[in-house]
Amino acid sequence: MLVAENLHKTYRRHAVRVPVLNGLNLEVKAGEFLSVVGASGSGKSTLLHLLGTLDAPDAGRVLLDGRRVDDLPGRERDALRNRTFGYIFQFYHLLPELNVLDNVLMPAYIGHSVVGWWKSRSRWRARALELLRKVGLTHRLAHRPRELSGGEMQRAAVARALLTNPRVLLADEPTGNLDAGTGGEIVRLLRDLNREDGVTIVMVTHNLEIVSATDRVVRMVGGVVTEDTPATPRPFPHPRLAAV
Amino acid sequence: MYKLLLCLRYLRTRYLAFICIVSVMLGVATLIVVNAVMSGFSTKLKDRLHGVLSDVVVDTDRPDGFVECDADGYPVPQRDEHGRVVFGPDGNPVPVPLSPEKAIERILASPAGPRIAAVTPTIESFAVLQFQFRGQTLTKPVRLIGVDPKGRAAVGGFSEYLVRQAGAEAPSFDLTTDALDRHDWNRHRAARSRVTEVPDFPPPKKLPPLPGFPDLPAPAPPVADLLAPPPPDQAAMNAQMPDARPAGVILGYTIAHFRYKDASGQVVEERALQPGDGVTVFAPGGEAGGMRPVWGSFLVTDYLKTEMSEYDQSFVYVPLEDLQRVRTMQGRCTAFQLRLKDYDRDKAFVTDQLRALFHPRSGAQVATWEERQGSLLAAIDVEKGILNLLLFLIVGVAGFSILAIFTMIVSEKYRDIGVMKSLGASSSGVMSIFVGYGLLLGAVGCALGTGLGLAITDNINGIERFLTEATGKAVFPRDVYYFKEIPTNVEPLRVLFVNLGAVGIAVVFSLLPAWRAARLHPVRALRFE
Ligand SMILES: Nc1ncnc2c1ncn2[C@@H]1O[C@H](COP(=O)(O)OP(=O)(O)O)[C@@H](O)[C@H]1O
Ligand SMILES: [Mg+2]
Repeated sequence: MLVAENLHKTYRRHAVRVPVLNGLNLEVKAGEFLSVVGASGSGKSTLLHLLGTLDAPDAGRVLLDGRRVDDLPGRERDALRNRTFGYIFQFYHLLPELNVLDNVLMPAYIGHSVVGWWKSRSRWRARALELLRKVGLTHRLAHRPRELSGGEMQRAAVARALLTNPRVLLADEPTGNLDAGTGGEIVRLLRDLNREDGVTIVMVTHNLEIVSATDRVVRMVGGVVTEDTPATPRPFPHPRLAAV
Repeated sequence: MYKLLLCLRYLRTRYLAFICIVSVMLGVATLIVVNAVMSGFSTKLKDRLHGVLSDVVVDTDRPDGFVECDADGYPVPQRDEHGRVVFGPDGNPVPVPLSPEKAIERILASPAGPRIAAVTPTIESFAVLQFQFRGQTLTKPVRLIGVDPKGRAAVGGFSEYLVRQAGAEAPSFDLTTDALDRHDWNRHRAARSRVTEVPDFPPPKKLPPLPGFPDLPAPAPPVADLLAPPPPDQAAMNAQMPDARPAGVILGYTIAHFRYKDASGQVVEERALQPGDGVTVFAPGGEAGGMRPVWGSFLVTDYLKTEMSEYDQSFVYVPLEDLQRVRTMQGRCTAFQLRLKDYDRDKAFVTDQLRALFHPRSGAQVATWEERQGSLLAAIDVEKGILNLLLFLIVGVAGFSILAIFTMIVSEKYRDIGVMKSLGASSSGVMSIFVGYGLLLGAVGCALGTGLGLAITDNINGIERFLTEATGKAVFPRDVYYFKEIPTNVEPLRVLFVNLGAVGIAVVFSLLPAWRAARLHPVRALRFE
C-alpha cells in the first residue's frame, strides 16, 4: 500500500554533506504492523518523515496505493497528513496551552473552517471521547499536558493521531522516553488498534524487546534496508514482568 | 478554526503576550494623553489669541482717524470757503474726515453687508497710564481703546472677559456705589493729606518805608467800566455744563494687580487699583499732523481678565466719547471691529470687499484676527509638527518592541509549529495564526490603552496635583502658563487614528516573525526537544 522506491536523502550542513538515505526500498502492506529498527542516526526518523510527506526526498518516490505522493502540491500534502497519516513522536509533542481533549481534537480543528467545525463539532467530540476511552484517559479530559505522566501523554498523542481515522500510523520511537512497563502498554495499545481496526502501523524503535509484538521487522544500516524478517512469533511479555 | 482557538489560547496563557499588550497599551495611552493635552493647549491658546480681537478689524494708521478718499485711494483735502486747500500744522493738506456713522453705513451697504453680524467703531492708541500706589506715582505703557461698551460687546471678545460684568449683554463704564464711595474716600484722604502737608506761612510783614520816599496812599479801587459786559453769572454757567460725570475705565487685570512669589514660594496676588481709584492716561492727540500730548482722568470700574498676559497687561478700555473728547477727535474713530455671521465661510469675501472700501493709500488696513496673530498661530503649528515627529518616534520604538517580543514568541513556539504542520496545518495557516495573534494583541492593547488614556486625560489635574505634592516640585507651574487647569481636548477622530495606527503597527511588525514561522521546516522544528 505504502511504497518507498529508491529513496535518497542528504542533509547539508554548511559545506558538510550528511548522506542519510541511499536508495532505500520498502513496501508496507495494508493492515500490517511493521517495525523499523536501526542504530541511532541511521535515518529511521528521516524515513518516517519522507513516508508521511513531512519532508521531500532528494531522489526516489513515495507511492500511496500506487499514486505518487512525495511531489504533490503543498495543499494536498497538508490534507494527506491531516487525514491519511497519523504521527506519534518520541516526545509526545502535545500543545502545552491546550487541554487533553483539545489536543486530541487538533486534527479536526486544523481540517475545518470555523463554520465547518461548528457544524460537525458534536460528531468530532464523540469520536474524541471514544478514542480517549479506548486509551483510558476519560478522567483527564480537562488536564493540561504538563499535568500528565509520560505514558498518559503518549496515550493522548495516540488518540490525537487516530482522530481522523488515518490509514497509516507513523510512530517514531513511541516508547523511547517511557519505562518498559508504560512502553509495553503503548505497544499493546498499538497492537490492539492494528488487530481490531486494521490500522496500518509503521513503528520506528531500537528497543528489540517490543519488536516481537509486530508482524514484520526491517533493519536499516547505512541508509538502506538490510534485513527484512517476520518477527519471531513470541508472546508479548506481560507488562508487569517486563517492568521488572 | 485552530487559528482562532490558538490565538485566543495563546493570549490567555502567554506571559509574553501580557508584556506585549502592556507595551501597546502604554503606547496608546501616551498618544491619547499627549494628543489630548496638546490639542487642549492649542485650542485654548487659539481661543485666547482670538480673545479680545474681533473677527475682522479695519483700522487706520492716521492719528486723526478715517478720512474720505478718492477713487485712487488718496485722501480728499478740505477746502475753505474760497475753494483753497486747507493745510495742517505739518504743512500737509487736511483731509475730509469720514464719520463712523457714514463708514458703517457704507460697510453695511456693500456686498459684504449681509454677512456681517455686528460692527462697532473704536479708537485705539498707545498711551501711558499713571496712578498712585502707596504714596508713589507709577506709570505703565498701555494700549488705550475707546469703545461703545454695548456695541463692542455685540462684536464679541469683550464682556465675557469682564470681571464684574462677566457676560453682560450691555456692559457699561458706570461706577457702582462702592466704587463711588471709594472715590469719595480717596478725595477726602488726598485733601486731608494736602492740608497737613502745606505749612502755615506767616502773614506777610509790612516792609518799613524806604528812606526818602513818601508813604504812598493805597491805590484807589478801580472805577467800574460802564461799557464792560456784566460779570458772568456763575450759577447759570454751571447749569449749562454737563454733569461732572466721572468717566469709568476698564483695566487689564495684570495692570491693576501685582503677582509675585512670597518667601515660601507661593504666588501672591495683590490688588493695586480698586474700583473707584483714579488713573490718568497720557496719549498723543488726534489731530492731523500733530503729536500734541493729551491726558484724561478716569475711575476704575471693572477689570478685563482674558488670561492672555499680552492683553491683561496692556489693554485699557475707556468710553469712546470720552476718548474722542480727550483726543479732540469728536465724530471720528480709528478702527471698526466686525463680527461675521459665519467666519470660516466668509472671511475671504468680507475682507476683499472691505479692502475695496478702505484703500491702503489712505492709511487704512483690513485684517482678520488670524492675520493679526499670524506669527503666533504659525508657532503653534510648528510646535504641533515637532510633537508629531516625536510621537512618531515613540510609535517606532513601540513597533520594534512588538517585533522583538513576537520574534521571541515565535521561537518559543518552534516545536508547536512543527507539530501543527505534521497534523496537516498549511504554511499560510501558521502565518495567519501569528498575524492574527498580533492583531488580537494590538486590539486588546488598544482597548485597554484607550481606556487608560481617557481615564488619565479625565483626571490629569488630580494626577498633576498629586505629583506636585509627592515631588514638591510644580509639574505645571500655573504662574507660567496662566491656565488654572491643564486644558485637555479629546478628539474622537484622533483617538480612532491612534487605535487604527497601533493595531496596524502590531500587525505589520508581527508579519515578519509570522512569515519566519510559516517558512519553518516542520522536520527541523520537530527535532527540537
Ligand atoms: N537538519 C539536519 N542537518 C544535518 N544533519 C541532520 C539533520 N537532520 C538529521 N541529520 C542527521 O541525519 C542522520 C539521521 O537522523 P535521524 O533520521 O534522526 O536518525 P534516527 O532517527 O535513526 O536516529 C543523523 O546523523 C543526523 O545527525
Ligand atoms: Mg530518530
